Amino acid sequence: MDLNPLDPTPRQWRSLEERAGLCDEQGEFPADACEAPRPGVSRRNFLQLMGASAALAATVACDRKGVPLVPYTRRPTEVVPGVSNLYASTFSEAGRAYPVLVRTREGRPIHVSGHDLGGKAPLRATADLLGLYDPDRLRGPLADGKAIAWDKAMERLGQECRSGKPLLLVTGASASPTRLHLLRELTQALPGLDLLVSEGLPKAPEDLRAWKPRLDQVQVMLSLGADFLTGDDPGLIEAYAKRREPGEAMLRLWVAEGPMSLTGANADHRLLLRPSRVAAFATALGAALREGPGAEPAPPEVDARLWKALVQELRAAGPRALVLCGAVLPEAAHRAVHALNRQLGTLGLVFEPEGKPSGLVPAQALVRLEAGHYGGVIFWGCNPLYASSEAGRWKKALARVPFRCWMGLREDETSAVCSLLLPEHHWLEAWGDHAAPGGHLALQQPVVGALYDTRQGEDVLLALLRGLGKASSPDYLTYLKERWRREVQVSGASVPFDRYFEAALHDGLVKVASPIHPPQSPDRSFPAPGPVPAGFELLLEPDRRVFDGRYGNNGWLQELPEPVSKTVWGNPLMLSLEDARRLSLEDGDLVRMDAGAEHLELPVCIQPGQTPGVLSLALGYGRAHGRVAKGVGFNAFPLLDPSGSGLRLGVELRRLGSRRELPRTQGHHRLAGRDILRIQEAGETAHGNHHAHELPSLYPPQVFGEQRWGMVVDLNRCVGCSTCVLACQSENNIPIVGPEQVARGREMHWLRIDRYYDGDPANPRAAHQPMMCQHCDHAPCENVCPVNATNHSPDGLNQMVYNRCVGTRYCANNCPYKVRRFNFLEFNNAKKEPELLAHNPEVTVRPRGVMEKCTFCIQRIQDARVRAKLEKRPLKDGDITPACVAACPAGAIVFGDLKDPHSRVVHLAEDPRGYKVLEELGVRPAITYLAALRNPLRGGKS
Amino acid sequence: MSDQLTLPEVLREPALTMGTVTPGSLDDQVLAFPERRPPLKWFVAIACTSLIAAIGMGFIGYTVATGIGVWGNNSPVFWAFDIINFVFWVGIGHAGTLISAILFIFRKRWRNAIARFAEAMTIFAVMCAGLFPLIHVGRPWLAFWLFPYPNQRALWTNFRSPLLWDVFAVSTYFAVSAMFWYLGLVPDIASLRDRTTCKWRKPIYTVLAVGWRGAGSHWQHYEKAYLLLAGLATGLVLSVHSVVSFDFATSLVPGWHMTIFPPYFVVGAIFAGFAMVVMVLIVVRESMDLQNLITDYHLEVMNKVILGMSCLMGYAYLMEGFTAWYSQNEYLHHTFINIISGTYGWAGWLTIACNVVIPQLLWFKRCRTSYFWMILVAVGVTVGMWFERFVIIVISLHQDYLPSAWRIYKPTLVDFGILFGSLGLFFTLVLIFARVLPVIATTEVKGILPGAQPWTRRSSCAAHPWREWSW
Repeated sequence: MDLNPLDPTPRQWRSLEERAGLCDEQGEFPADACEAPRPGVSRRNFLQLMGASAALAATVACDRKGVPLVPYTRRPTEVVPGVSNLYASTFSEAGRAYPVLVRTREGRPIHVSGHDLGGKAPLRATADLLGLYDPDRLRGPLADGKAIAWDKAMERLGQECRSGKPLLLVTGASASPTRLHLLRELTQALPGLDLLVSEGLPKAPEDLRAWKPRLDQVQVMLSLGADFLTGDDPGLIEAYAKRREPGEAMLRLWVAEGPMSLTGANADHRLLLRPSRVAAFATALGAALREGPGAEPAPPEVDARLWKALVQELRAAGPRALVLCGAVLPEAAHRAVHALNRQLGTLGLVFEPEGKPSGLVPAQALVRLEAGHYGGVIFWGCNPLYASSEAGRWKKALARVPFRCWMGLREDETSAVCSLLLPEHHWLEAWGDHAAPGGHLALQQPVVGALYDTRQGEDVLLALLRGLGKASSPDYLTYLKERWRREVQVSGASVPFDRYFEAALHDGLVKVASPIHPPQSPDRSFPAPGPVPAGFELLLEPDRRVFDGRYGNNGWLQELPEPVSKTVWGNPLMLSLEDARRLSLEDGDLVRMDAGAEHLELPVCIQPGQTPGVLSLALGYGRAHGRVAKGVGFNAFPLLDPSGSGLRLGVELRRLGSRRELPRTQGHHRLAGRDILRIQEAGETAHGNHHAHELPSLYPPQVFGEQRWGMVVDLNRCVGCSTCVLACQSENNIPIVGPEQVARGREMHWLRIDRYYDGDPANPRAAHQPMMCQHCDHAPCENVCPVNATNHSPDGLNQMVYNRCVGTRYCANNCPYKVRRFNFLEFNNAKKEPELLAHNPEVTVRPRGVMEKCTFCIQRIQDARVRAKLEKRPLKDGDITPACVAACPAGAIVFGDLKDPHSRVVHLAEDPRGYKVLEELGVRPAITYLAALRNPLRGGKS
Repeated sequence: MSDQLTLPEVLREPALTMGTVTPGSLDDQVLAFPERRPPLKWFVAIACTSLIAAIGMGFIGYTVATGIGVWGNNSPVFWAFDIINFVFWVGIGHAGTLISAILFIFRKRWRNAIARFAEAMTIFAVMCAGLFPLIHVGRPWLAFWLFPYPNQRALWTNFRSPLLWDVFAVSTYFAVSAMFWYLGLVPDIASLRDRTTCKWRKPIYTVLAVGWRGAGSHWQHYEKAYLLLAGLATGLVLSVHSVVSFDFATSLVPGWHMTIFPPYFVVGAIFAGFAMVVMVLIVVRESMDLQNLITDYHLEVMNKVILGMSCLMGYAYLMEGFTAWYSQNEYLHHTFINIISGTYGWAGWLTIACNVVIPQLLWFKRCRTSYFWMILVAVGVTVGMWFERFVIIVISLHQDYLPSAWRIYKPTLVDFGILFGSLGLFFTLVLIFARVLPVIATTEVKGILPGAQPWTRRSSCAAHPWREWSW
């Protein structure tokens, strides 16, 4: 249609009449319909102007130092407001790497979960999202406490490097081949540079560390203090859960340990064994295996019948048996266990060596430091002034070093003694590659631009190399790509490198490994353990939440209950019932513990199942830096044995007389005979799922729409690792409340793991039960709410309307599962500026005075529903994975539609082990639990 | 009087007044208080109580500004002092209504001298009670959502919720009690109006007396209205605390979910209320020299009521134990064991001691007539009834179904501050009332003065001399 400019017909018209010129001014749109400008200011104009100026005034506050905020004129194709994106990246920690998926919304990461190809995400990977938004992060380089520009800082660093003085570079362990390459180049370019990998936690001997358990062929497993189910290695939990499927081939787990660990809680047979006796126990076991159970007398602490049974089991299983040794135990124990495994010819170990730069050992470095050998020291991503048994020596020795530089995320004990502080990228802002389990090479890509004026540590080193004229890559990404082009992409690959790299970035990992043949090193002889001195044995293990203290500033982890003792915010000294009785101690009593020259005054926590004479304490607490970490718990690093093992002998304990309340989310309650958590013996006829006659109800039955959501929790798969709790917290913006509030019973976790003891308190069985809103059909919370703030959705969800809630708390009283959480205070007030960015925008942040609870991740349900609708298909089973389901390494939680007869959830709910908790109340919960199975020897129950 | 003299000594109803009381002297004695300047001890007393009330209000302000987190409430004890205090105060109120309404309908003439005072206490107690549901919610500024008012969002309240029934029950109770009280006050206020010479009191009394002239038609309407309201209030005595008990009885919580709760709560309320009336009445009687109008007999009869209620409470406690055992419900069983031997077992035994054991002293006439023993019992009952609600609410909640969620409850300073603040508020209101309005209903007492009613012997009275129809 050509438009004639002379045509009087208006080009845009409001009505046909107007177009035809039939409409006069008084027609459809009379003149006064919209306010014409009049002389003076009308009330409406005044309000408009005021509103506009108020809005404009408010936008001034958005101005960030000259960074213009421009709306997308052309939207980046991958960013759709309101739709989240998933990126593959890699989380690494102390030389181990885990491929993960990072969910971002409008460019900011909001959730870290497992990778379809690389397994589930470990607990701390999910939690470390908070580390990105940590308000304590260093936001720009500092020199002697004053902010300086990066180029000035780099200039200073470059000068020190070029001066020719001997330098020491201290780094944390890493499994990154490119980083290793870079470090190698740097040491070549700077001959005076010494390298030291500083990880302060006790570990297995170097040559044994490469042996990783693989459970797919294992039939009998004996853990000698090895707590392998803690969630540090989700792949192991996954494999374990798979091997625990009911049936003939079900793995049997024996545990002999000092403290009551999570693994011990899951054991079929658990023996109390002092850590100092592990080596002797393993040796005796080896002898008995050779000569038959009768030949070798049972070690004194083991019941003769059980010992015989254990020996027979291991003999029968042969290569299908696996013995694991606790990582922190002394070298003798590791050697003995390794010898035992070789004797068995176990199929349960694979050889996966870690790449490691050749460098100094800490002792050498310290001696040189103390001798004043170095002109400068650079710390990169490590904290030896805290996380080391030699922290005191480090501190003294550093006084002799003129130049001290530090690179890291947030100021810590080590940065406090350094003059030049260079802030580093968080891993979610940085590039990298890592050797991942299973012969994979995993890529780490930034999912958000740097929040602050920080640089990647590798970039800093690369700049140093460039300054020395030894490198050409402008940045680490280029360096990484170059190395990948040279070494990773297999020669002759048909795709161009860019496409290859892009595909690798998309997947997050590539398979690289050619099978590595383990070295057939002979068993090293080890000295027989000497006499055990009198007193307690103290076992120091890394905390599964704050690790070696590096996550101490992470409130999610601080508030995550320890899976067995359920303590939070700190590391009480775990003590056996017998010792507590002897010293007349109660939970929270303060004691003075003397270990050699060191001593600590700390509260005790009495732990059923702890071996008498054995104390255990988590490392990683008692930090001196960090707003969250500071003052929480006690620093146990000085107590570490100088030999590097986590076992300390001859420890004295004295009661102090005062008390400190232990913040914990659950006491030592036993099941008291209640049918809440069902445990059956494998092979026993299931007594669940009799589908107790549905109790009559005065209320009409619920009418459901197309779907009815439900869940199955397989207690046999659940090991209690609590990864789901953290994923739920991250997904649903659940606030942390702090130790005082937890001590008062106000923690907010929507999903909690209940732990119950059963049997003899000296060596009880413990079992775990994830407990969240049961979305009852006849929900008792719903009919007591006076304002209808909680009600039932047509798809079977028990909904909570935060806006309507006035906070009578009646619903929570009437909830028999006590899964409702009340905002007693404004818990979100404590969040500082960047922390708010960690919020999931799909989930309302609840104000004080409002009740909240598990929603079955309704935002994910809606998201899947919208997706299905856009794709014009019905929802199918597996479309929806609530955060806990996605996080569970054991696959213990299954979610789905109870109305779909083919869904997994319906199939599982009909399992003979299925039952509903408190079914007799007639509330008709939507969650079916499958009874846990124990697989003890027939007639050999301990 | 002469007829009475013909009855044997034991059957004779004791005199309801002592000494020579004439209508004139009665007016002079009772109606003079509002006109006189209060003595120093009154000022001291009200300074203390209002200071306590002010501190309590401060704590309430702190709570509203900060959140319920300043209290000791936790998960699973989501309700604690807030609801304990609410039930406690609602219970206190019940004695007033019982005295003024039920005893009126049963023509118990001894009520006439104490009804006014007891009714006033009802109203003040319900005011204190009403405070708690308001401040205990998480967002008190939205508490009006509990009322079913028409709104644009078309949101309605949940009529299945016992908490909503509570809202209706308590607000109805307050409204009816206030009307009943005010109606009874009208003739007395008219007397005050007629007596006063004070320029600024006169118009106030004039307005409040709503034109009462004491005409026969006035009396006729008054009597009818009074009887009707008494009838209404009678139902409320039974219903209000029953509804309050539904908060517990209709829930799932072991220890709450019991059919005995409604009658048990009503009895407990009357019990606690009478104890409070006895305590306060003794103070009023002594400090205002009303021994001739509130006689030892009045106190003794009230003590008898307390004794009777105490026995019923004992029965209810026994039944709770029996139900726990007979139901074979492990959860209920556990709760009952907790009441007598759990962490809060001391509270359970304190309740039984204060409510069942100590009141047994009142079997002895000496204790029923001695101030010391009376006050001992009354204080005991008041404390015991507060702890009874503590036992019901905190002990039941702190260990319910899943042992993993069990938790100890510890109140905070703010909890105690608000509890004592509410006591301060109550006594402040009582003190103000005692000085502003006639504490004794003169018109009603005049009706029982010797010679006030022409006595005619009726055959029924001869057969049942204790049933005396005064009008």
